[in-house]
Parts: sequence; structure tokens; C-alpha cells
Amino acid sequence: MINFHRTLRAVIQRNLRIPQNSFTRNLSSDESQKKKEKAKLPIVRNPFDNAQQKTKETFVDMVSIFEKRDVHRRNHVEFIYAALKNMEEFGVHTDIEVYKSLIEVMPKGKFIPTNIFQAEFMHYPKQQQCIIDLLEQMEDNGVIPDYEMEAMLMNVFGKRGHPLRKYWRMMYWMPKFKNLSPWPVPNPAPSDIQELATLAVERMCSIDIKSKIEMFHTEEVEDSIDKTWIISGMSEEQSQLLTEHKKPNPIYIEGPSLIWLRNKSVHYFTLRSDPDLEKLEKYKKRQIEDTDDVSKLSTPFFGTMTPPRPSALAKQRSVHEQNDGTIFAICATGTSTKDSLLSWIRLLEKSNPCLSEIPVLFKFKSIVGSNIVPVSTESDKKKPLDLEKIKVV
Amino acid sequence: MIKLRNFEKILKHANKAVSFHTSSINETFWVKEKKSGYSNPKNHNFPSKKELIVEGFKELKSEIALWREEVSEKLRMDPIVVYRPGEVDVVYDFQDRNDIDKWVVTSDSDHNEGKSKASLELTNAESGLFHGFVDSQFLKDGKIKRTGYANMRTLRVKKSFKRDATFDWTMYNTLVMKVRGDGRSYLINLNTEGYFDLMWDDAYHYALYTRGGPHWQDVKIPFSKFFRSSKGRIQDRQCPIPLHLVTHVGFSVSAKGQSDGPFNLEIAYIGLEFDPSNQEEFAYEMYQQDKYIVAN
Repeated sequence: MINFHRTLRAVIQRNLRIPQNSFTRNLSSDESQKKKEKAKLPIVRNPFDNAQQKTKETFVDMVSIFEKRDVHRRNHVEFIYAALKNMEEFGVHTDIEVYKSLIEVMPKGKFIPTNIFQAEFMHYPKQQQCIIDLLEQMEDNGVIPDYEMEAMLMNVFGKRGHPLRKYWRMMYWMPKFKNLSPWPVPNPAPSDIQELATLAVERMCSIDIKSKIEMFHTEEVEDSIDKTWIISGMSEEQSQLLTEHKKPNPIYIEGPSLIWLRNKSVHYFTLRSDPDLEKLEKYKKRQIEDTDDVSKLSTPFFGTMTPPRPSALAKQRSVHEQNDGTIFAICATGTSTKDSLLSWIRLLEKSNPCLSEIPVLFKFKSIVGSNIVPVSTESDKKKPLDLEKIKVV
Repeated sequence: MIKLRNFEKILKHANKAVSFHTSSINETFWVKEKKSGYSNPKNHNFPSKKELIVEGFKELKSEIALWREEVSEKLRMDPIVVYRPGEVDVVYDFQDRNDIDKWVVTSDSDHNEGKSKASLELTNAESGLFHGFVDSQFLKDGKIKRTGYANMRTLRVKKSFKRDATFDWTMYNTLVMKVRGDGRSYLINLNTEGYFDLMWDDAYHYALYTRGGPHWQDVKIPFSKFFRSSKGRIQDRQCPIPLHLVTHVGFSVSAKGQSDGPFNLEIAYIGLEFDPSNQEEFAYEMYQQDKYIVAN
């Protein structure tokens, strides 16, 4: 009876979403039963909250302790839900082995339907839903299951089990999109900022395969204040464009802008100029005539001579010459300060001497804009969200 | 028995306080309206019936002009027969304010389900900038499981007199875009809203990976790659997108995988192309499955 009561209570608590305290409070409000109830109510503690060290070892240990506690493994659904909730805290939410150990908690054979009605009407629904939720959490965290997991699920729910269906769907779709990105980033993304910046600059410069990614140290520059690193990307074509740049017109260092690599972001700066409209117009004119177009045929007998056709061998427009400006170089620095960017220009001057004659201006965007979420402190986290204040966009 | 009676008491008490479900919500087939409970009439300030009639008459002129155009188009009987390869027909671009008004931007904060914010703005480079931030924080009320998203979607395609229409893209086989992103991956959504409630949420998706950086990126995605889903779930029964039934075009971004923070997607245009080199009908397998396993 006590066990039944405990299960019931856990189920009610989960479904009603009543905090544990209020549950006891409600019970104790009934005065005639007050003392008896207090004596009989078991104390349910969440073992995951009380863990001293939140590591993978302790997590797996707790699962194995639960498994070995008794033959019946009572409350295993509640246990799995509690475990799923706390996985991120233990840093095991992307670990397939841990998910497997949780599936291992389920008894084998018992939940396999033996006839068609059981199969169709979701035999042992709570248990099946629990494992579906587990698989869903794996999906959300981008963990692709493996064939061992299929065998485990087969042992628990049989081949007509709903978790199996979920598993097959995941195994069909997830690998299709896993490596689809044309700009792959290691999973998890590196936590070293310098490494991350190199990846980011390489990715941005992939537009031009001749781009050269270089790492500079500001120590090389005399009278530089910030001693840091600079990852810079520039191609031959961009150097050429820089030498062709009309001298009195200034060029800009624009930034910082943001680039995301998985869940990490890097600030970068671009060296650019306003679009050279004359040049762009020339490119437009030079476009090879469409010989199929019969809408403007000219008669060569009267009037002025037709202008000579432009040579097909003409200089092509570079990818860096965009309608909104010409891009000369991209960089990410260790400190993202004005001084480090000044050092970047000094270092670029070595390979592009023309830079010393061009005025360089800074065009800074403020990082802390009005639309950026302030980093929440510990005290903020405890407060409930004030959803009233959020304006609808 | 005493305990059970106690339990009933608590239930009654709780029922008064908040409405909740003790079991999974039993809404299987019938759906009341297209937004599935997300269109809150309290949020809309509908004008009175009289105002609606007056405003409606004002629109009569432009609607009749539209209708005349449609009729004359039909009488002309001169459809485009050959779609020349390599030619991009632009469907949506961002030249002026009117182009921005064709889009609706939503995020989880619209329904008090999160803190994400988004907006769509016109830039100097004649493009639309979809920006804001996505935040996966939410009020733990027991109903919401996860959040942190922002969407932009076009208004429903309409004929004259505000009648629902659909795009007819059957002559094309490639979606062409010019975008400038921030390295995040976005989701392209093509809605094919059907007549019956079961088909209201039909949508076809594909991922849009952005390079990031200051350079523009040309995107070409064959329509055969788009997969089918409903209410955010990939469906077991897949089929190529019915290109004559497209009703909306949209983009989504989420804070999945702890990627909370600002996002930026600049779109110059969205167009269509017929590419004869692309012969694929559907990119996903359509083989027969065991009975009672798939779509069950």
C-alpha cells in the first residue's frame, strides 16, 4: 500500500505540477488526519539534486544503484524522467552511453505486446511514453542513436513498440542532415577563442579559394598597446583591388559583426570601401551581348557606324566587388579593440604598401545595442520571468 | 479509502485554482481554427461591423482593378510555355516599404511563451534584414517544454476580392535566393495550406546554411529536397512538394543547441528557376514499409 501510495503521489505530482511542499501543505490542512498522514508520508528526495559531484561517473553510479536496489525496480518511469531532467547539469546530455544506461533500467520482455490489440493500444503507455520522451531529448540534443539501442528497445518493447517507431524515424532523418552543412564545424565547437576565430575567418574567406589566412601577433608592431593575436584573411585578388583603389577615397574598418559556429559566436571586422560605381557600370556594359535577342536589331545601312563589340576577353567582376561595397580583408582579433585593429592595418601594410597612402576610418557598431539580452546574474535567474513587460513585436 | 477521499479534495481544490489536464490532451482530429489556439481574439482590436463595411467599400476600387487584370489575363490566353533555363524569376524582393509589408514576423514572445524578439527591416543595400535575438529561457509553467524561435512568413497569396489563392510554381524546379547570413542555419518553410483541417498545417522544409561574413551568398535549392512536415513533425508519408499549392514562404531560426543570442539574415531576393540539369523528383526514399508501422 505504501508503495502504491508513493507511486500515485509521484504521478499526481508530476501531472498536476504541484510543488512538493504544497502537496504536504494541502494534506496537513486536513486536521483530522494531520498527525497520521505526517507519520505515513514517505520523504521523496531527488537523488540527482543532492549529488555532491555532478559528473558522468556519479550519474551512471546512481543509475546502477537504482537498478540494483530491488528486483521490481519500482518507480523506474519516475526515475528516468528525473534523470532526463538533470542530464544537462551533469554534462551528459549529449552522451549516448548514458541514454543507453537509462533504457537499460527498463525490464526486458515484460512490455512486449503478445497480441494485436495490445500492440495497437499502446501496451504499457506510461513506459512507452517515457522512452519516447528520452528519444526526443536525444533528438533535441543532436544525439544520433546506434544499432545497439535498437536491439535494447526491441528487447524491452518488441518490434511493434512506439519507441521503436520513433527510433527508426530518428535513424532515417538525423543522419541525412548531420553532415549536410557545406561549412562543417567540429562538434562540439572548440572552446579556444583563437582556434574558433581561425575557423570563423576560414569560413568567411571560403568565398575565394585563393584566400590566405594569416596569424599575426601585435608584438611585431612598434608602439602597439594591446599584445594579442590577429587572424586575418585576404586573397591576392583583394590585394590587387586595394592597389587599384582610388587614393583620396577612404576605406573603412567596419565591425564588430557576429558569426556563429554552432553555439559559439565570434566578432569579426572587415576592411572595405564604398562601391566604385564607375567600375560597376563598366562591368555592366561589358556584359556580352545576347545574340538571341531580336528586339533591337539595327540596320547598318543608315546613320552612324555601330560601335565595336566589346572584347569577350574582359576583366571579370570580382566576388569582392559587391553592390554595397568592396571588401578587402576580414579579421578577428583577440581583444577586438581599436588598437589591435590599428596593428592589423600596420601588419597588412607589409604586404600591401599602398595601404600607407589610403586614409583608413573606423566605423564601429556598438556591441551593446538595445536589442541584446543582458547577461543574467544569479539573482536574476531566481526571479520568475516578467512576461507582462515583454512587448509584442 | 480515506486517502483517496483526500486526493479528491486536493483535485477539487486544484481544479479551482488552475485549469490543467491530468492526462494527455485529447485533441485528435478536429481542430477549431487554423492557428490551433494560437490566435487569441483578445489580442486583436477588430473594428466594428459598420467600420468594416465602410473600409471594405473603400477597397472596392482597387479590387475591381485587380479583377479586371485577372479577367483580361485569362482572355488573352497567352501563358508562358517555355521557361528558359538560367533565368531567375523573382517572387519576393525588398525594394521598398511595400515589400516589407508582405511579411509577418513572429516569435515566441508574441504568445508569452518566451523572450525572443525579431523584426524585419529594409537596408540601404536594397535588401530585407531579418534580425533580433533568440532566447531559450521561458517561464516553467509545465505546459511549455522548449522555446526560443523567430519566424518571418509572407501573407497568404490572394486573388481579387481577397479570395484565397495559391502560387503555381510547377514550371520551376529550383528555389534561388541571394542572402547574407551570420553562420547560423535557418529553416526555409513553404506552406501548402490545404482546404481541410488536416491539411492546414502542411509545410515543406529545407535547411538554409549561411556562410556568415560580409559577402553575399547565392543559394540554389532544388524543390525535390524539401521534406514534408505538419506542426513541426516530419511526416512518415513523404511526397514531393505540390508546387501548385504553395501558399506561404517563410524562414525560421531557433536557439537550439544553446545558441541563444542575436541573429541576422539579410535577404536580397527570393526567386525561382527552371534548371534542366536537375532531374531529381524527390530526394527521399519512398519504398514500401511493413504494415501498421509507418504513419501510425
